[in-house]
Amino acid sequence: MNSAMARIIVIEDESQIRKFVCDALHEAGWQTFEAGTAAQGVVEAGTRKPDLIILDLGLPDRDGVEVVRDVRAWSGLPILILSARSAENDKIAALDAGADDYLTKPFGVGELLARVRALLRRNLRTPEADGAVVSFGSIVLDRAHRTVSRNGEALHFTPIEYRLLCTLVASAGKVLTHRQLLREVWGPSYVESNHYLRIFIGHLRQKLEADPAQPQHILTETGVGYRFQL
Amino acid sequence: MLQPNHDQPALGHYALAALACTVTALIATPLRPYLDLVNIVMLFLLTVFLVSLRLGKQPAVLAAFLSVALFDFFFVPPRLTFAVADAQYLVTFIVMLAVALVTGQLTAGLRRQAEISTQEARRNIALYEMAKSLSGAMTLAHVIECSQDFLRDVIGVKSDLLLPGEQGELVSAGKHGVWYEAHVALMAYAEDRRTQRHPLTELDGVRYYTLHGSTRTRGVLVVSPLDGDIDALDADHALLEAVASLIAIALERLHYVEVAQAAQIDMASERLRSSILSALSHDLRTPLTILYGQADALALTKPPLPEKQQQAADAIREQSMRLCSLVENLLDMARLHAGQVKLRKEWQPLEEVVGAAIKLLERSLAGHMIKTALPPDLPLLEFDAVLIERVLCNLLENAIKYSPEPGTIEIKAKQVDTKVEVAVCDNGTGIPEARREKLFDMFVRGSAESPLPGVGLGLAICRAIVEAHGGEIRADDRPEGGSCFVFTLPVGNPPVIEAEAELPEVRV
Repeated sequence: MNSAMARIIVIEDESQIRKFVCDALHEAGWQTFEAGTAAQGVVEAGTRKPDLIILDLGLPDRDGVEVVRDVRAWSGLPILILSARSAENDKIAALDAGADDYLTKPFGVGELLARVRALLRRNLRTPEADGAVVSFGSIVLDRAHRTVSRNGEALHFTPIEYRLLCTLVASAGKVLTHRQLLREVWGPSYVESNHYLRIFIGHLRQKLEADPAQPQHILTETGVGYRFQL
Repeated sequence: MLQPNHDQPALGHYALAALACTVTALIATPLRPYLDLVNIVMLFLLTVFLVSLRLGKQPAVLAAFLSVALFDFFFVPPRLTFAVADAQYLVTFIVMLAVALVTGQLTAGLRRQAEISTQEARRNIALYEMAKSLSGAMTLAHVIECSQDFLRDVIGVKSDLLLPGEQGELVSAGKHGVWYEAHVALMAYAEDRRTQRHPLTELDGVRYYTLHGSTRTRGVLVVSPLDGDIDALDADHALLEAVASLIAIALERLHYVEVAQAAQIDMASERLRSSILSALSHDLRTPLTILYGQADALALTKPPLPEKQQQAADAIREQSMRLCSLVENLLDMARLHAGQVKLRKEWQPLEEVVGAAIKLLERSLAGHMIKTALPPDLPLLEFDAVLIERVLCNLLENAIKYSPEPGTIEIKAKQVDTKVEVAVCDNGTGIPEARREKLFDMFVRGSAESPLPGVGLGLAICRAIVEAHGGEIRADDRPEGGSCFVFTLPVGNPPVIEAEAELPEVRV
């Protein structure tokens, strides 16, 4: 897992924000390229062979969501969104378009670096490399034998619960929107049935979390979706 | 009045009729040797016909009798007396009189019909013109002017429009008042469209027409004849009703024009407010993001800063974070007040949003014990997760602020009838009873001179959000010390989710 020489493009119109983000990334040992507009950002992304893009949603020349779509058209490289609080719809649109994670302004450097590290790490990992057995906390998920156990004791799941768990685990560290999860687990005709998802997430928490009201693994991104944390 | 009175023709008409008969007699006298008496009768009949055509019914009657008399006197032997030598002339007289009268009456009737049709046509044209100008009228004054002019010039009445005032009374809107009785006008105003057959006629000489709009009654039209002839007015009842409904339509249209304009102004000011808010929030957040980010970067510099500078960097970071949350609160309050917040209500378990709020405040909660007591059978609730998370965060932040470390903060919920009560309790200082209700007002704090930071917006935001969800929020004192902030959410009808069989393969 070598993310030491990663190349990161920062697309942000406020030069001061861009500066401190780049400084922080530099300090952490990564190489950065700056872009003040969406157009410039897309050019940089196409030419610099980046490992990650940090994208502000409020760009003056184009909608950030369109930039995400543009990049996704030719690359699966991780995209971290920067957005204002109380802009849930923008975040959801960007995530649905293929962005991987988001940071809400104002954010601290520590938070920024943690997200970037997680995304770079995720990108180095391939699904095959994960292997069939994943463990988190006291839970062991064996995808080859389709079993889940806590401290060696078997846990019982319904087909939907199991599918939901596997979907979450497969995208560990990444934010999945309600729509993405519903499409993946229930199918395209269920994308508006948010309450299904919420209830089944509740079931998973009851079975997997020590305290379902204070979950450690299946985290809620309020108004946006869920994030599974190993 | 345009319509002349046919029942009483001017004396001049009689004189003309008499003159016409005399002239005929004078013209016929020299022709006597050449014409048979029968043909002279014809001349007289022609005269009666012409008289009836030009001068009307009664002069024609006069002409008929006069013709018979003149014929008898001047032409029937013995001449220059009314005596008749040959008795068969009596038949001539009777036939002549009968023919003269009948042709006279018929012709006069026809003429009258033609006159009435012309009148009607003229009034209809006037009515069309009024309808046209009413449909183009953009102000109430214009509607009143159009209708008053028409009613005065065409029907010969003075009129007034009575429109409902603010307290349900009727207010005269016209310039030239008509003397009317207020209670009758109110009765007319209350008339039902379906039951009303005739205009109300309480005070003699005044008629009240209700102005029925399609959605509601728009007012009352009061009319009174200029010449005091109330019967002629009642003869025009149908026309007046038509005028009343035209006025009602015009008034209704004006009303909707006003409504549309008000809506447009509302929309424009709403847009302005929302663009100001978003510009303001962008302009406030950007420097704060930079400030906080830079302070955080400074505090994390490697190698670490000397202790004093490190403390300064930490202080800048902490204060800028506080400033951020203050600005967020102000923006939230502004947005809630401007009605900019649209609830994105979804059915969901309360547990989830409680967990999210605790997670968000993880760092601030580090010094406190946090306990949750949510019954597993709690129904799904319909709420906006982001906003209720905000309520919980604000309440938790308050609890942290007002209870000493290591305190215990509890989040409890229970169903009470058709509501779910959610309580955030602390074992802090509690709140004096007198201040409890006021706490939820803007810029009000638990104690006026508190050393703790804050401006008293958090609870006001909570109340705005909870009330938008149809719930209530209150502060309770705990007997064991500390306070509980309790808010309610209505239960509603949660959707039913079918149970699902367990996955067979997973069973061990």
